[in-house]
Amino acid sequence: MSSRTPRPSRALIALAGLAMVAGACGSNQTPAEKAASGSGGSTPATGAGAPGAGSTKVGFIFVGPKDDYGYNQAAYQGSQAVKAGVPGIEVLTAENVPETDEAVRVMEQMIDKGAKIIFATSYGHLDPATKVAAAHPDVVVVQQGNLIKGTVASNMGTYFGTVYEPVYLAGIAAGKATKSNKLGYVYAFPIPQTIANINSFELGAKSVNKDAKTYVVNTSNWCDPAKQAEAAKSLISQGVDVITQHQDCTSTVTKEAESAGISVVGYHADASTLAPKGWLTGSEWKWDDLYVDIVKTAKDGKFPGSKYNANYRVGYKTGTNPFVQSKYGPSVSDDTKALIEKAKKEISGADGSPFKGPIKAQDGSELFPAGVPADYATIEDKNKAFVEGVVGDMPKMN
Amino acid sequence: MTTLLDPDAVEATAPAAPAPDGATAASPPPTAAPSPWSARLVGLGRTAAALGGALVVFAVFMKAKGADPVAAYREMLSSVTSWKQVGEILIRGTPIILAALAVSVPARAGLINVGGEGQLVIGGVAAAGVALGLGDTASPVLVTVLMILAAALAGAAWSALAAVLRVYVDINESVTTLLMNYLAVDLMLYLIYDAWKDRNGSGQPATPALPVADRLPLVGQSRIHAGIVIALVLAVLVYVLFKKTSFGFRLAVVGGNPEAAHRAGLRVGLLLIGAMALGGALAGIGGYAQLAGTEFKLRPGFLVGYGYVGFLASWLARHKPLGVVGAALLLSAVVIGGDSLQLESNLPAASVNVLMGLLLLAVFGFSTKRKAVAA
Amino acid sequence: MSGTLLAEVLTGGVRGGTSILFAALGETICERAGVVNLGTEGNMLMGAMTGYAVASITGNTWVGVAAGAAAGGALALLHAYFVLNRRTNQLATGLVLLFLALGVTSLFGVAYVKADIDAFQPVAVPGLSSLPFLGEIFFEQTVLTYLAYALVPALWWLLFRSRWGVVLRAAGERSEVLATYGYRVKPVQYLAVVAGGCLGGLGGAQLSTAYTNAWFENMTQGRGFIAVAVVIFAGRHPIKVAGGSLLFGAALALAPALQARGYSVNQFALDAVPYLLTIVVLVLLGKRESAQPPEGLQKVFEGSAVT
Repeated sequence: MSSRTPRPSRALIALAGLAMVAGACGSNQTPAEKAASGSGGSTPATGAGAPGAGSTKVGFIFVGPKDDYGYNQAAYQGSQAVKAGVPGIEVLTAENVPETDEAVRVMEQMIDKGAKIIFATSYGHLDPATKVAAAHPDVVVVQQGNLIKGTVASNMGTYFGTVYEPVYLAGIAAGKATKSNKLGYVYAFPIPQTIANINSFELGAKSVNKDAKTYVVNTSNWCDPAKQAEAAKSLISQGVDVITQHQDCTSTVTKEAESAGISVVGYHADASTLAPKGWLTGSEWKWDDLYVDIVKTAKDGKFPGSKYNANYRVGYKTGTNPFVQSKYGPSVSDDTKALIEKAKKEISGADGSPFKGPIKAQDGSELFPAGVPADYATIEDKNKAFVEGVVGDMPKMN
Repeated sequence: MTTLLDPDAVEATAPAAPAPDGATAASPPPTAAPSPWSARLVGLGRTAAALGGALVVFAVFMKAKGADPVAAYREMLSSVTSWKQVGEILIRGTPIILAALAVSVPARAGLINVGGEGQLVIGGVAAAGVALGLGDTASPVLVTVLMILAAALAGAAWSALAAVLRVYVDINESVTTLLMNYLAVDLMLYLIYDAWKDRNGSGQPATPALPVADRLPLVGQSRIHAGIVIALVLAVLVYVLFKKTSFGFRLAVVGGNPEAAHRAGLRVGLLLIGAMALGGALAGIGGYAQLAGTEFKLRPGFLVGYGYVGFLASWLARHKPLGVVGAALLLSAVVIGGDSLQLESNLPAASVNVLMGLLLLAVFGFSTKRKAVAA
Repeated sequence: MSGTLLAEVLTGGVRGGTSILFAALGETICERAGVVNLGTEGNMLMGAMTGYAVASITGNTWVGVAAGAAAGGALALLHAYFVLNRRTNQLATGLVLLFLALGVTSLFGVAYVKADIDAFQPVAVPGLSSLPFLGEIFFEQTVLTYLAYALVPALWWLLFRSRWGVVLRAAGERSEVLATYGYRVKPVQYLAVVAGGCLGGLGGAQLSTAYTNAWFENMTQGRGFIAVAVVIFAGRHPIKVAGGSLLFGAALALAPALQARGYSVNQFALDAVPYLLTIVVLVLLGKRESAQPPEGLQKVFEGSAVT
């Protein structure tokens, strides 16, 4: 080792000086946390002083490209419906916004430009959205798909359709269509929303075909078409004859199924033209009415205390699910369609649900006890393991 | 103390052949005296002209996409000049500065570190691990010190591995550091989705949030955190290291001519490993700063892309530590200004990549007069 | 239909390794001439987007593939100009061109995300495809994969048995000697870089028109970086490059093949396999002569304190 010691030069003095400056600074607590640890929320005001009231601009952030033929594109189309459906509103959009603190910056910029209503449309945008909402009590921030735990601030909310309901119905179509009794599911990451879909798909299939099993393959990526192609091919080589997916971009898996001559169930978008022979049905987004209604509610100063000022979930039981069933393909028989109609009625009824217990997890433990789960939010929260009949494993979630 | 020097490795890293055509090699370091002011002015003029050219080319792009270039530039400029946005540039620039310094230090010794990306991530992972492991059993000051140490050590170890492989097995470090970026991200994803997942969090996988006491303090009422102070101080320290210390001098000797360095009795292998480890440590601290300053949690998108931008920032500044600060902040400003291309001009998000590519090409290719033909 | 796990992984390896193989063969040419192109990923993106777009516009997938190769070559031409004429650092320039390509392909590719093309389908080679084991792995692929097979020995011959190869390697190895024989070094290097870019573009086009039948922004997802690693891992030898690409492809095909069989796997550990594998092989090959880069290239990799 060198015995020479470096001179404690100006740099160290500068370091000391800067450290003192830093020491004089505030604690790094997000406004949301301050509010949570503070005396509690003020009473929600409605009317002219309410968050979002009179907003002339609304901002939307998307996690991916707005032309992905999937999730983000659907949300983008919804944003354009707002432009058309709310008189005098200007719509700001930003795509490829990561689910990190960078989203805070983009939302802040939208607010600086005058937006008082913000839609954070990706599941992972919840943390940044919460930060922004707490820093701007006059701005309404709504987040698509995630769940706020605990108290919901008066200018925040989450909204979503009950995706797993149409997926359950699609599972019925798949269960009737399969001859090998092997269904394939290409998914990205094991998040509760995805797990609920996979489970619901299997439960739907099993409701009409007790031997139907769902084989799952993940891609560790929301849009890597090459991994999707390989995943689909692997499933097909194992004898899977109906395939579906939870990916952001969806055309590769659909085309792969079609060229292999098997059936496909769509997700996010109507891709029936990509699989004229194999298309069974699917689920797709129709955000237009919901987005417009949220914007109007906030603009009129009625957001606090409204149904959107909560974890708002709309499904077959409670109204118009923005996640709708796609059209049927040519091979779906009238019998199957009737079964699906019947199931739709059932799960729309007071004592119906895709997750009507008792439902067992893969390991035999009880996932949902007998009876109908309390509400949509509970269902999403409890889907942390695969149900019996799903073949495959995932990182532990509990 | 055993010597880490391996003469074979030194042989291999020291091609004795004189630079032939030269077209393939980076041009030799000009050991020039400070250029006179007139020459500097000319250089500045060239850089400005090059940047102007890039902006013109990008204007054509924007026009082709149906946007008004003049309005777009005006919006971009106004979107990076408010105080709030300057703060955002500093926040985003913090890890980029440190990732860039992680390139500059090894470059001084002639090593190329393409692994800033992974070293940032691994630093963040180590810091998060310390915070998770200690919880509130230790005082915040102790936790903070340990987090910084862990981040620096993790970054150093991660990068030093590449240097060790270079010195002992003669594997090119630019390839190993690049490959290890993917490994770092895989490791982080595993921890986020599995071992370290916040079981009480929202469905989105992330580690539990860092306790408030363990975070970096904020500057006044802004979102700016003390990470920028750390980055600036470290940049100055690296400057001092290069200019004033014998270690810095030795690195430059090794970088200039490893064989001569070896003949002069320098422990070349040790110096190479040290330079790389120091670089990795800086990037590791960058990961810590991002975690403790603004993200508070590891999430899937944590620091994605920052390392590569840092790599370019270091080259942009020709690996000069103080210049690196400017280059990193400049690249950060381009990205933040790029937000307005989407919000105001309705251009796709990817436009900003085109702008960044053009600006960098312009500066790399045209800012200095280069002899087009050497041989 | 359900073959053995090994056969399936290798089949997937060939299928998924083809784009990497094209790009890596291109990078082999480039590096043999003494230029490294870290922006191979960018060449692939250009090829993937242009290939898909032109295939959809013209209705002819072959025209698309040719256009994809040309687009990859065009980006490489920029690389050649900057590193050979403007003397910019090769690694940094490659990375900058990647950023540029990411932006450009996204801007101009948006219009083709929903476009349809007549994608390449697997074609069984008569006779060969009925070989036991090997037939299913190697001879039930798309025609672009067969083209890649043909390129491997062709490139080997070109590099090591033809006069052209001697000149090319001399440009990377001993350019001063080349100059004394009256050759101009720079045109040779230009040619090599652009040819390399074309092959990178071809690899991208294989990804979009044969493998995934789709274009999405950033769809190469790091495969260009993998190609660069494969070239170094394979000591810039076409035959070994082919082996390396297959190995990498197989590593990528392992995770879905295991999962589809219901095996419990850790997805993140499996994702790390290809990268770990490459590092391990590099360590094992270590100091062998064949692993040494051409002399001209060593200088690039050594970097320099100042550009």
